[in-house]
Amino acid sequence: MSSDHSIETLTKAVLNNLENQHDWTQIKVHTQANLPRPIVYGLPPKRLYVHPDEQIALIKAQKDRDEPIHQTPELEWVLPLHLAEKWSPAQFAAVFDALDAVPPGGAAEAAGDTDGDNAAAYTQWKLWRNSKRGKRLLLATVQDDSTITYYIMHDGLVKPRQN
Amino acid sequence: MASPMADRQVRISRIGGRYLAFDIEDVVYIRRHHGICAILMGTMPQNPTQNIFLGLPIELYAEEARLLIDKKVAYIADEATEHLSQLKTMDPTARSAYLQSLKMQRKTAQLGLEDAKAKSKAQYQRRAQTITASSSDNPNRTKPASSGREDSLFDSQPQQPAPVAKLALPAVTPTTSNVLVASGGSSVSIQVPASYPLYRFLNTRGYYITPGLRFGGDYSVYPGDPFRFHAHYMANSYGWDEKVPMLDLVTSGRLGTAVKKSFLFGSQQPATAIAAESANPGEDVRVFCIEWAGM
Repeated sequence: MSSDHSIETLTKAVLNNLENQHDWTQIKVHTQANLPRPIVYGLPPKRLYVHPDEQIALIKAQKDRDEPIHQTPELEWVLPLHLAEKWSPAQFAAVFDALDAVPPGGAAEAAGDTDGDNAAAYTQWKLWRNSKRGKRLLLATVQDDSTITYYIMHDGLVKPRQN
Repeated sequence: MASPMADRQVRISRIGGRYLAFDIEDVVYIRRHHGICAILMGTMPQNPTQNIFLGLPIELYAEEARLLIDKKVAYIADEATEHLSQLKTMDPTARSAYLQSLKMQRKTAQLGLEDAKAKSKAQYQRRAQTITASSSDNPNRTKPASSGREDSLFDSQPQQPAPVAKLALPAVTPTTSNVLVASGGSSVSIQVPASYPLYRFLNTRGYYITPGLRFGGDYSVYPGDPFRFHAHYMANSYGWDEKVPMLDLVTSGRLGTAVKKSFLFGSQQPATAIAAESANPGEDVRVFCIEWAGM
């Protein structure tokens, strides 16, 4: 799985799956000199990940509001992998070190979001889209029959969601 | 509470390659102050085949024993060799101190016996008095004379044998040799598994760690005492450059999500990669958490 061609097919498979099966939009391929392979990012139709502490902050903020807080989706990183591959912790660490927490274009969008609302009580839950957002990416593991499983991988200790 | 605990040295006995702690105070101390639960492994002599109700001693993992040693709050006693050498090299003062302690044990036993005797006597007298009181309420007054005679009989009896019992202290078979052992252990090197850095990393962050088999990993990691919290993570440790099959990550991630946990894997970074921040032990570990994405 190290040849350029196979990585290209892998990336294409993930791109197609995200676009056609999971209805992602704004899908782009991101290449960077210090990345071992191209990485995909895009916008899921629904918000993919809410940190458990953010959920608490949201519930608190919700109490003082009449209309529900709209959960706009966030851009997410996706790392295409094949099931037969073997990655070491060092390789995962290198990918996380090379990436920003928010994919290109996502940071400006999130920053604009907070400027609109100055009320201090509401800002706590909004921070999760900016400074509090930890580094995370989706492991898109492709199997030979083109089944793709998605797992969220966090950099560091992140407690599990209450699902 | 904090000040007497501050200089406590936990005695970890190494017996048959296992690390055991026998003192209940030690068990409480390491659980409360160092986040180490260990495993109760002592069974009941009356019913040795059951393993539901277990008591002292606790068995510490090699990681746990090593962590306590590294924190300088415990020492290892290699019991088999230390016990014999202690007995052989005993000097006269230590010997007399030990004999004195045996005598003290017998004296406390004697006091206990006397106490019990006095209590039962008092109880008997109280019962006798209530009987006389209730019978004195009776208009029919034939009993008082006889009950008075009973009292005098009872009073005279225990006074005579008491001085005889004081001369001979009861025989006591010591059940522990606590007094014999000196504090200060032998310098035993502890062989820890490769996952020790991850263990230490999690412990320094206040996590409680128990064996991970029940959730399918090396460790299950609790955000507080396991009596009060569910585990947050099931953790595995890998080498920094160890190639991990994706199937392992996927299956562990799936399993972790199924038991409402996050699958955590970590590895110690080689010294060159962290040069600057390597000063702190427990800081040289990189961890990642995996959860099912829900799509």
